[in-house]
Amino acid sequence: MKGFKKVLAMLLAVAMVAAMVMGCSSGGGDAEEEKTEEKTEAEAPEGEEESGSDEVLKGGGSNIMYVITPSVSNPAFKAEADTATAKAKELGYEVKAVSHDDDPTKQTELFDSAIADKAAAIICDNAGADATVEAVKKARDAGIPTFLIDREINAEGVAISQIVANNYQGAKAIAEKFVEAMGEKGKYVELLGKESDTNAGVRSSAFHEVVDQYPDMEMVAQQTANWEKTEAYDKMEAMLQANPDIEGVMCGNDTMLEGVCAALQAAKKNLPVIGVDGSDEAAALIKSGDATGTALQQFAVIAETAVVQADKYLKEGSTGADEKQLIDCIAITSENVDKLSGFVFTE
Amino acid sequence: MAAKQNSGNNKLAMTILKGRTFIVLIILLIFFSITADNFMSAGALLTVAKHVALYGILAIGMTYVIITGGIDLSVGSVAGLAGMIAGGLIQEGLTLKMFGVTLYFSVPMIVLITVLLGALMGMLNGIVITKFNVAPFIATLGTMYIWRGFANIRSNGATFSELAGSEGLGNTGFEVFGRNLGGTAIPCGVLILAIIAVVAGLILKKTPFGWHVLSIGGNEKASKLSGIKVDRVKIWVYAFSGFCSAVVGIIATSQLVSATPKTGESWEMNAIAASVLGGTSMAVGVGTVGGTIVGAFVIGVINDGMTMCGVTEFWQKIIRGLVIIIAVIIDQVQRNLQAKMALQARNENK
Repeated sequence: MKGFKKVLAMLLAVAMVAAMVMGCSSGGGDAEEEKTEEKTEAEAPEGEEESGSDEVLKGGGSNIMYVITPSVSNPAFKAEADTATAKAKELGYEVKAVSHDDDPTKQTELFDSAIADKAAAIICDNAGADATVEAVKKARDAGIPTFLIDREINAEGVAISQIVANNYQGAKAIAEKFVEAMGEKGKYVELLGKESDTNAGVRSSAFHEVVDQYPDMEMVAQQTANWEKTEAYDKMEAMLQANPDIEGVMCGNDTMLEGVCAALQAAKKNLPVIGVDGSDEAAALIKSGDATGTALQQFAVIAETAVVQADKYLKEGSTGADEKQLIDCIAITSENVDKLSGFVFTE
Repeated sequence: MAAKQNSGNNKLAMTILKGRTFIVLIILLIFFSITADNFMSAGALLTVAKHVALYGILAIGMTYVIITGGIDLSVGSVAGLAGMIAGGLIQEGLTLKMFGVTLYFSVPMIVLITVLLGALMGMLNGIVITKFNVAPFIATLGTMYIWRGFANIRSNGATFSELAGSEGLGNTGFEVFGRNLGGTAIPCGVLILAIIAVVAGLILKKTPFGWHVLSIGGNEKASKLSGIKVDRVKIWVYAFSGFCSAVVGIIATSQLVSATPKTGESWEMNAIAASVLGGTSMAVGVGTVGGTIVGAFVIGVINDGMTMCGVTEFWQKIIRGLVIIIAVIIDQVQRNLQAKMALQARNENK
């Protein structure tokens, strides 16, 4: 026990020294940088900055770009975070990529850190349409422009850009393929995303706008699986038990599509299944014939656009585009699935 | 004399408690067989059993832990990390940088490595709790975050999706744990649940180790004084919980034929709920594996039954919560009744 304590003490000492050395070196550099930048900012006339909402935000002063996304364990958000990080680095920014895990409280804390860090700009895939507004406002008050990607917020004129995938158009496009694969008739079930998420509702209503036109298509069950694979797997199995004659499945996203396909494989069934997102996993299932299609949300394009606009805005004072921008989705089926990789579609 | 009587009364109380959950289960089965078509079919019940297997196995480990007066919040995270370890070993193998080689193991080896690591993770919980005197809730809350973090780091947040293995590497067959037993309709997970349940049940009831576990739950100080190596028993109990979690990680990963770091998130709640529904009590140190299995089935039947009748997720949550609270209230009422009866019996004897 004595020997163990000694080892522990030594380890702690080493860790502390290491932390001090690392903390000093990086902290020192930042502080200097901040000082010079603060000076330039102080020279700018302050009265002008506080007038009206059309003011041009100069950034917090540092050269850091914050990329805030939901958990990167979802490949879509990972692609988003990775692309934004790569593009920002390429444009000469220091990048801090963090995740709010869909927790609005955590997101607010991250915004606070970004403000404390004097971030130049924030790129954010937000954790809630209403819960995010305050955080973005706070950043705005600190002179930091926010560029929202993938999901909108319920306020305009707060963020500089809101660049989102056209979920509605995408879901409709892939629903057309679903109807086609089902031969315009038959019983189907639908798995919804998290019901508190706007996209879940938008996608579902777009699906139904198409599918409900066909009187022979009958929905026999509708369940939420919270965008999750395991939940989708369990729910699909239960729904198959309740309705053994299901002939097709619509999923609100690709993660649920994966769970559904695994459940169908276990039940030795091969039915038309559609999703939305365009993940590599879904692409593989489309290639193997287990899934019918997915709507590719061009996460990479969206993230890259946001970073480019942030850079332009910081340099020129304007993005040159409207606040709300929609990026079209691409319907992916066995015909064009080969062109999809890592959320990038190459013609 | 008094001690003997007490244990006799406890036994009686236990049978009543067990019976209570069982009655709830039967009521639920009847209810859903009326409200949901096709619920009362072999297929549907096997599906329920298959889903129950996952948190049922977690709950068996949890039952041991709760009996000793502890709690293990890290089970879901251990399951997630175990899935990632197994998935990683299949897809990427083990790369030894110093030798510049990548080793691929056969599936049985991978399972063995994974469950041993799972047991080791659990053992670590036990060591932190017993040797450093950290409250179980805190210690396992800590490791819950740590293992989840490692699960994400393993793949940098991504999913291992090619778990079919390849003939050339000799690591095919991983999906067998998530499928049905060859030629039958019985899911492999259910068989694993049954085996673990029987073994864990026998150990708890028939072996000195099991008696030690129960004795620690009843009175830790007295157990220590009577010569039971309390720390060692507890460490093994947490190791067993870790082992169970790793098994669950393997089954869950195998079912989806892909390993995601999110596997098992918040499953500790289902495991605790199943244990508590089954009559396991943190305060008194009682519990049986059989009761826990019944508790797990109650939760499973509620989940799948409501899905099959088309109840939305929001109501499912509310109903699940209500069932747990009501079960514990009945539990308390019955315990009080038992205590009163025991007291009366003793007074009459005098």
